[in-house]
Amino acid sequence: MTKRTSRREFIKRSAAVTAGSIILPQIIPSTAMGMGGRPAPSDRIVMATIGTGSQGTGNMREFLKLKSQLQFVALCDVDKKHLEAAREIVDQANGNKDCRTYGDFRELLEKEKLDAVSIALPDHWHGIIYSAAANHKLHVYGEKPICRTIRDGQTIVSAVQKNNIIWQTGSWQRSLFNFRRGAELAINERVGKVKYIEVGLPDGGRGIGTPPVMDVPPELDWEMWLGPALKVPYRGVSHWNWRWILDYSGGQMTDWAGHHIDIANWGAGLEHTGPVEISGHGFYPPEGIYNAPVEYDLLCKYANGIEMRVANASRLPHGMGTTWYGDLGWVHVDRGDILKASDKKILDEVIGENEIHLYKSENHYQNFIDSIRSGKPAIAPIEVAYRAISVVLLGEIAMTTGQTIKWDPEKEVIIDNPGASRLLSRPYRAPWTLPTV
Amino acid sequence: MIAAVVLTAGCTKETGYKTLIITGQNNHDWQSSSPVLKKILDETGMFSCEIAETPAAGGDMSTFNPDFSSYKLVVLDYNGDSWSDKTKSAFIDYMKNGGGLVVYHAANNSFPDWKEYNEMTGLGGWGNRSEKDGPYVYYRNDSLIVDETPGIGGTHGKRREFLVRTRIVDHPITKGLPARWMHGNDELYSLLRGPARNMQVLATAFADSAAGGGTMRDEPMLMTINWEKGRIFHTAMGHADKEGGPAMQCTGLIVTLQRGAEWAVTGNVTQQLPYDFPTAAGVVLRPDFKEITYKEALQNIRSYDIGKSTKNLVCIQFHITQLAGDKAGLLKAEEDLVNILKDEKATAESKKLVLRELSWMGTEYSVPTVKELLNNNDLKDEASFALSRIQSVK
Repeated sequence: MTKRTSRREFIKRSAAVTAGSIILPQIIPSTAMGMGGRPAPSDRIVMATIGTGSQGTGNMREFLKLKSQLQFVALCDVDKKHLEAAREIVDQANGNKDCRTYGDFRELLEKEKLDAVSIALPDHWHGIIYSAAANHKLHVYGEKPICRTIRDGQTIVSAVQKNNIIWQTGSWQRSLFNFRRGAELAINERVGKVKYIEVGLPDGGRGIGTPPVMDVPPELDWEMWLGPALKVPYRGVSHWNWRWILDYSGGQMTDWAGHHIDIANWGAGLEHTGPVEISGHGFYPPEGIYNAPVEYDLLCKYANGIEMRVANASRLPHGMGTTWYGDLGWVHVDRGDILKASDKKILDEVIGENEIHLYKSENHYQNFIDSIRSGKPAIAPIEVAYRAISVVLLGEIAMTTGQTIKWDPEKEVIIDNPGASRLLSRPYRAPWTLPTV
Repeated sequence: MIAAVVLTAGCTKETGYKTLIITGQNNHDWQSSSPVLKKILDETGMFSCEIAETPAAGGDMSTFNPDFSSYKLVVLDYNGDSWSDKTKSAFIDYMKNGGGLVVYHAANNSFPDWKEYNEMTGLGGWGNRSEKDGPYVYYRNDSLIVDETPGIGGTHGKRREFLVRTRIVDHPITKGLPARWMHGNDELYSLLRGPARNMQVLATAFADSAAGGGTMRDEPMLMTINWEKGRIFHTAMGHADKEGGPAMQCTGLIVTLQRGAEWAVTGNVTQQLPYDFPTAAGVVLRPDFKEITYKEALQNIRSYDIGKSTKNLVCIQFHITQLAGDKAGLLKAEEDLVNILKDEKATAESKKLVLRELSWMGTEYSVPTVKELLNNNDLKDEASFALSRIQSVK
């Protein structure tokens, strides 16, 4: 542990030598340079990936584009096939066969000397593993949604803050021009003061019906996959399809909150607060193993009077993406470089020197590495990720109970509703517990 | 929550809106579909239906003379010989005086040469329909297209399950419906054309050529037409197999037909949306055309096992959300759920589902029963889950 801490300190000090510079590898002092002007391997940020499915591997490939600045040394997954495929990628990048693999994240965290981890797991594992990584003083690139419940989220936020690590949420839209520009136009009131926001998230898709109980594939540790979730027989949902089952996730609504609600909050100054009243309804599949809402329509009211509607795209006039409305018009952003406004002139507006300029990042992964070096927060810190996902977790409670939920965003409690309050957390199956921070 | 118990004043099975289902000739299995249409409408408790059969094809159509004026609603499951002028004229008068009409599936094939009828249906197919009969109407890129291109009227590819997209969300018939839902295996009527005047396209379905032939257009599936004072609900869906089959058993078809029929009579819809309306996640059928009631669900769920229908649970959950926090109602529901836990004949899997529900809505009332289950090997995890949640906030 001591060794790890001093390594972290070293990396941070290196940054301080060339304060203000953000271009790597220039910030590496020449004394630390290896042959050929490349950083010596020991000065690269040492990383591991926990969760090597499609998202975890995708993130790792993005990080490997920066491989002069970092190095993967270990991987962890409960699926040996995924693990093996990821190991090949890492070994190829490293030009050796040294990448170590684990089936249990606890073993990886204990044995490996790391600076950072990239984590992409089913949501029901986030509370435990994000907190554990933070408690091991590792910097974390963590996938959204950052938590399955509000209580998980509160725990993770505390762990990150207490351990003073760099956290980057996989809310990579923040590092794209159109989203930042749209949010900057909104927050600088180019549509007037924002009064209403529409957030369109994906429609739920075709289900997989009612699969039977199946043999667990030999490569899969199903017990470990379930972890803190209630024990159920294997029915072929360990990859991808877990997303639509409430024990593990909240469907498209919770999956995408970390994107378009995060952007909505960014442009409306709501990043560090939450709604005070949440109501809405969902459409749940009457048949089949999927039980997350396929469609959903929430209305969230904020203390400052802003209202935010969050719904599946087909229910909204602008479909997918975020739309801020004010007295002077609207601005809409979505993937595919979409940046639209009620009046094209709004898009030509110049943001003055004394106005709000939002955090600028042009590469989400590089931003994480830069933050580790500089010690400055990354563009998508844990606190704002928690506020983005909270909106729909509270919405989920409103839909489950059929009630309008009153939320105190300061104390982070549901007001006067014991039944709904219980849904703020999910009991863990023994022996798993949420770490105390 | 149950449409069957939501009765408009003075409207029961006996005194419901008098409805005439007309059939007797069709290139489809009308002997199967007509009784099903009656069952579907009777199920609401709002209509009292009679079925009238015309003479068989080639028969003496002058003997077919219903007294349209004594009905509030006419449902056409008919595709056959032309009616007599007298009957046609009586039907036109009925509609002019504000009659209600439901045009079902192949009824839009019928009477290609009857001008007023085609105005009422808005769109039709087959029967040598072409550009002379009116434009194609469909959606492309989320816009309604009225297309005068010459060509045939009416086609369909291979039968399939398909996604229906609600296009007008604030119409009484579609209000509150999911934006997208899967429909049971059916013919996807395409290239319909007609006068299309005073017509609203409420819902469309994409005729994907990859799924066994299709126009690659979002074809109209549910329409409303205003003709003179009359109101017409037109569903292009519902190809009947023996005893209905999946196209007619589809909850989406059933519910839109029930709502469309009410709208055709009154211009309004008072029926509540049921818990089992399909979503994009998959087809939902009512094999006996009935909505399971909460009471039935409480009974049915006791035999739940993995792999069986989840409808009963969803029905119970829907009932609970409809209570919207009403304390007395929730206590009653809690009692209902605890009774399942106490039922020795109820399966372990059903009790697991119940314990999850009780975890958030249970009170002290549930605690002793849940505690007992901590000693049950099959249920101890779920019991512990429920208990720790119940006790987390009192």
